[in-house]
Amino acid sequence: MTERTEDGREDAAPGEGSSGARGTSGDISGYTMGLALAALLTFLSFVVADSEVIWHPAIPAALIALAIAQMGVHLVFFLHITSGPDNANNSLALAFGVFIVVLVIFGSIWIMGHLNHNMMPMSSATDQRMFKSPL
Amino acid sequence: MLGKLDWSAVPVGEPIPLAAGTAVFIIMLGVLGWITRRGHWRYLWLEWITSVDHKRIGVMYCLLGLVMLLRGFSDAIMMRVQQALAINAPGFLPPEHYDQIFSAHGTIMIFFGSMPFVIGLMNFVVPLQLGVRDVAFPTLNSVSFWLTASGALLVNISLVVGEFARTGWLPYAPLSELAYSPGVGVDYYLWSIQISGVGTLMSGVNLVTTILKMRAKGMGYLRMPMFCWTALASNLLIVAAFPILTATLAMLTLDRYLGFHFFTNDAGGNPMMFMNLIWSWGHPEVYILILPAFGIFSEIFSTFSGKPLFGYRSMVAATLFICVVSFTVWLHHFFTMGAGADVNAAFGIATSVIAVGTGVKIYNWLFTIYGGRIRFDTPMLWALGFMVTFIVGGMSGVLLAVPPADFMLHNSMFLVAHFHNVIVGGVLFGAFAGMIYWFPKAFGFRLHEGWGKAAFWFSLAGVVTVFVPFYVLGLEGMTRRLQHIDVSEWTPWLYVSTMGVAIMLVGVFCQVAQLVVSILNREALRDETGDPWDGRSLEWSTASPPPTFNFAVPPDVTGQEAYWGVKQRAIKAERLSDEPDYEAIEIPRNTPTGFITAFFATTTGFALIWYIWWLVIVSLLGAYATFVVFAWRDVGETEISVEEVRCIDRARRAAREARLAQKEEA
Amino acid sequence: MTAPVAPRAEANMGDPYVLGRNVNAGGEEDRSEGGGASKSIVTLYGFWIFLLSDIVMFSGFFASYAVLVGATAGGPDGSSLFELTRIKLETGCLLLSSYTCGMSAIAATRRTLALTEIWLLVTGLLGAGFLGLELQEFAKLIAQGAGPQRSAFLSGFFALVGCHGVHVVAGLLWLGTMMAQIWVKGFRADVMRRLMCFSLFWHALDIIWVALITIVYLMGHAR
Repeated sequence: MTERTEDGREDAAPGEGSSGARGTSGDISGYTMGLALAALLTFLSFVVADSEVIWHPAIPAALIALAIAQMGVHLVFFLHITSGPDNANNSLALAFGVFIVVLVIFGSIWIMGHLNHNMMPMSSATDQRMFKSPL
Repeated sequence: MLGKLDWSAVPVGEPIPLAAGTAVFIIMLGVLGWITRRGHWRYLWLEWITSVDHKRIGVMYCLLGLVMLLRGFSDAIMMRVQQALAINAPGFLPPEHYDQIFSAHGTIMIFFGSMPFVIGLMNFVVPLQLGVRDVAFPTLNSVSFWLTASGALLVNISLVVGEFARTGWLPYAPLSELAYSPGVGVDYYLWSIQISGVGTLMSGVNLVTTILKMRAKGMGYLRMPMFCWTALASNLLIVAAFPILTATLAMLTLDRYLGFHFFTNDAGGNPMMFMNLIWSWGHPEVYILILPAFGIFSEIFSTFSGKPLFGYRSMVAATLFICVVSFTVWLHHFFTMGAGADVNAAFGIATSVIAVGTGVKIYNWLFTIYGGRIRFDTPMLWALGFMVTFIVGGMSGVLLAVPPADFMLHNSMFLVAHFHNVIVGGVLFGAFAGMIYWFPKAFGFRLHEGWGKAAFWFSLAGVVTVFVPFYVLGLEGMTRRLQHIDVSEWTPWLYVSTMGVAIMLVGVFCQVAQLVVSILNREALRDETGDPWDGRSLEWSTASPPPTFNFAVPPDVTGQEAYWGVKQRAIKAERLSDEPDYEAIEIPRNTPTGFITAFFATTTGFALIWYIWWLVIVSLLGAYATFVVFAWRDVGETEISVEEVRCIDRARRAAREARLAQKEEA
Repeated sequence: MTAPVAPRAEANMGDPYVLGRNVNAGGEEDRSEGGGASKSIVTLYGFWIFLLSDIVMFSGFFASYAVLVGATAGGPDGSSLFELTRIKLETGCLLLSSYTCGMSAIAATRRTLALTEIWLLVTGLLGAGFLGLELQEFAKLIAQGAGPQRSAFLSGFFALVGCHGVHVVAGLLWLGTMMAQIWVKGFRADVMRRLMCFSLFWHALDIIWVALITIVYLMGHAR
């Protein structure tokens, strides 16, 4: 599906990977590898969540790391996003999107967790949970 | 059968909406009747309503914007008159009415006045400047426009069927929750904004893809006109910010319709979350509005000084800087909500920093003008007017960025002065400048200079007279959105401001007169060659108006200012470049998909507002069916024959050869 | 004006990663000056941008959830409500469906109609299985008084997970339409573009699901 211009320097469409040796849409081994890795990471996440061995406050961080790894597996093996110059537009767009997502989520958590300067002192634990960070 | 809708929804007991609604209805009937009598329906349907041509869609967007600006302005007139009359007196608008008016004023001005105007200009100009035939997704473009029109229609229907929101242009919770706003007003707001929001998002995707993936050969990123760079930044912001608006309003909708507790006062809801989320959209939104205006000014300052834009690369850097940083400042809209000093300071510093980008642009414009041969045509006047007003408005913004100052000035008239200063002086002046600058390109004749200049001077005087008193009033302690005034000391300023509205009204009248007189005298004002302003970018190489396919042969760009070099070479050689080899051109087919989709969107929205559930389902099915029918078509393009292309382009070349010959003789 | 055809390795004599103008001996033009991209690239890139905007929309719901996760209003919280077995099944369904979707894309590029339709059907069935499990979960929660009206936490939960579910429904509708289109029109260029867009969409849904199980179910369970 990747069409070449006369000099073969065309960008790659998202989802198609590099124009060139790999050809189109990747091949079966790529997808199978991706499936195996993703399944492994999912399994690990469930293990970590239930784990007695890992220090409790570190569990959220571990889960996030595993999630990021899994998303990476999806991006590379299923969506064929690479760091080559023919994928520059695709990766830059992705980076911009990630930047916004991080800002919105962590910005909101930071702001909302601090919005107690105009509030009366809180008595009940349930009320205080309103400002507790989920992480 | 009809949900909550019954005859009590029509405001027979309220004279103002009744009179306004009747007047609009009569005007509409008049226009439709005139079209019918002249037999223009076929032309309108084939050439405009079903058009997927970016130029036609751009014009329709601008027309929608202009009409809605008039509606928003009439709301403003009522507000100013009310505040002038209601000093220790009741005024003529009861609170429940006045609240709807200021809410409608803001909503319409931003969502249905400025946004369509700005998007329309980008739609029209960007493909021409990039040297391409249309945007990336022409049918999607049509859908986007008609969805925006659908939202505008719903808001206007609220005037005569039901009521509008009373919550301001951003419906803060918990006031906007069902408990405190049980009527249909907030629902009208929610659905019209959601529907038009989809249209805007699609438009953003369209223009980003066009600018990044479709440019003439040789037009690298650093050879794009500045307007295309600012259009890129603005549309990137649309793509990144509008989904947040969609999500937040969806949460409010879930609260109102299904009893969720996102922003309610009870069951753990957090109304402050609404402010946080809505402003993380709201701040990028104002940059979405101003960035294209900055681009327009870059084009105008360079063209009317006869010099290339000064500091092109730093302008690009400043634009991208503003684009990114605009996402990191949103808390400055609610410094007083109680986030504490750390958080306030961080966002306050970010807000001050973002002014640097604008500062870079202003200095670059000044250096562009310096040493140039300045022509004071109307677009240049608007640009200079912008320069003066925007700097003041921007500085008041930097003042507000200081949290301790903001604690005094938040939601005061000082704030109202600031944002009107920058939006009217920035966005609107830019839109008017762009409209006059590109009008000849779109329609083939220039606008009347005399009326244009009058419009400018009256508008500038009006803007200053209305909004400078607001700064004073804000510092004296007056808050915004007051239905009645209890402080007599504010009277002189309120009177001055109301007189300013009268001056602005004269300006508006001059704008309308400019259009009417120009249309009546269009032969005298005809743009023969397509290059009335001695332009520098590719759109001025086409005829006025350009043919459907824009360029007979795709341009090959070899330097910055794609058209200027070509033109200078032709003048020097005293002849045009050789006639190119023409080929047949394929253009996308017109389709009623956009119009029909928007029709179903309107009925869906109306049905949701009034709880007419069967109509919701029927409308959604209709929309899906429209989509499937469109997706099933086999022929997406028509061909323009090579003879026709040759004929059209030879006419263009002949006009330019005539101009060259004239230049030689002179 | 056009550069000669050359295999990729030789054409890039300069460093392909250098920013700005590509200064190499061949005098070749900068990457961004090549003229417009092909229709398939334009379409897929536009859809990619749309997907990123959709992910930003999800982040709004994620942010709300994160802020409201503690606001249980005296009602049940995540650890008492979430059934991890169900989540494992749902994840399995969706992950597998991503794989089968990839298989269908490969079959489509090889223009094998029957295989493409079969893989698409399997994808759809797995997606429907996921939806069935999710709807069952919602019904169960509502029946035991833990519906979205109970507390802000549950509102956030139902909206976030529900938003993902609505996207899956839309995806299945799209999938069905694509299966019909391929059947009737074959692997025409525009049908292929839409199929590739669908693939992007379906994989992105699985990426969102990864974030969802992590932040909602696993973290909720681990509290």
